Amino acid sequence: MTRQPARARKPSLSKEVLDLLHKREATRGLLIAFEGPDGAGKTTQRKLFRRWLEGQGHTVTTTKWASSPLVRPLIKARKRARALGAEELCLLQAADFRHRLEQDVLPALWRGRTVLADQYLFTGLSRDAARGLDFDWMLHVYGPLFWPDIVFYFPISLDIAAQRVASKRSPKYYEAGQDVTNVADPLSSFRQFQARVMREYENLALVFQFLTIDGEQPIYEQHKRIRKLFLEGSRRVWGEWNAEALAEWLTLGVGRQEVKHASHE
Amino acid sequence: MPPTNDQRGRLIALEGTRATDLRRAMERTRPRRHPLRAAGGVSWWDASGTFYEMWLGKRRHLTPSPRTLLLLYASDLSFRLRWEIQPALAAGRTVVAAPYLESAIAFGRASGLSRRWLAELFRFAPQPDLCYRVKEGKKSSGWKGKPTDGFAEFCSAVLSETAPSFNSVDLRAAMMALLDASERRRACRRLAS
Repeated sequence: MTRQPARARKPSLSKEVLDLLHKREATRGLLIAFEGPDGAGKTTQRKLFRRWLEGQGHTVTTTKWASSPLVRPLIKARKRARALGAEELCLLQAADFRHRLEQDVLPALWRGRTVLADQYLFTGLSRDAARGLDFDWMLHVYGPLFWPDIVFYFPISLDIAAQRVASKRSPKYYEAGQDVTNVADPLSSFRQFQARVMREYENLALVFQFLTIDGEQPIYEQHKRIRKLFLEGSRRVWGEWNAEALAEWLTLGVGRQEVKHASHE
Repeated sequence: MPPTNDQRGRLIALEGTRATDLRRAMERTRPRRHPLRAAGGVSWWDASGTFYEMWLGKRRHLTPSPRTLLLLYASDLSFRLRWEIQPALAAGRTVVAAPYLESAIAFGRASGLSRRWLAELFRFAPQPDLCYRVKEGKKSSGWKGKPTDGFAEFCSAVLSETAPSFNSVDLRAAMMALLDASERRRACRRLAS
């Protein structure tokens, strides 16, 4: 794959946990994230890639942004009432993210399934930064971070994003960032807000070294590039990158059950 | 006209492990401590209805970890600050918040989360002008109240179903020890009976 960004700080963990992670490294699944602004075509590419992976013999799990059955209804109801402040939205989405990570993503990876994340934590970071929240605070809120093996990033121009979104429907209140722009027209607000989100994405792509897929290329060209980059890619070693998040999970109910289950296999 | 600094209200935090004790203390604190500001408000746990809705609606998905529970508590606190606490303070009123930061931090520490993460998580919340530790009833037991009574009761109910090694008596004892420690370093004072 790729050059790697500055390595995560290695926490002091028990030898037992590190041994467990080391043993699991060969059989664990890969986590692949699809990131980019609204209208970039992430979902289309994620679906195509899933089919291809399944054809190659992978078992695949998909996880989508703000979709945990625990928190999603809360976020939906509050969005409908337009009652969310920026911090509150960020914290609810972080709770949703953590819950999916612990309940869906990590168990699937542990069992050797490939996980495709249709938007991962970088979605939260870029949108919340565009809402003016402090980046350092957000990183802590989402911590301990769990790094994906690969992040595919789909940049597009603002005009294309607005065109694609408007062709289907009027942007929703929070999607258009009307809570921060105070612009009454959803599409004008969407343009203003997405310009900020795109700036944040560009910074994240640079710092975290995403693999860029030109979102304005024909769909099949993008798909071919994704396959190519995937085949050239390498994994991020759990013990070096994700030890802290995994150690916490392994001490929880779900993680413990997974370990027990795996040892009986 | 916005209030001057002199007119700005005061935020009083009540901290403890049981909702019964917190409620009792809140009733006493409001009129007695600040008779000149009797119009002051209260800010009680779960003003946003987050935990109540979760308990009512999605029990079968109720498997959050301590970290997720604290993120949800922080989102509720953000709601309380935005809609209850800050408007009242800005209007020069006294607000009693029960619980506020110390109880949640004690829960997080007792569950094994790092002090640094907890401090960062609650960085958005202003420090209270006064923090009182309420008198704890039935010190040697776990929680007996309904899950929707208070944050600790809710967490206890959830974790006892999902975490195999969870012990509510141990967790409450650890929370009390941490609140004792915050009293010793004068982050909180003991509320006189």
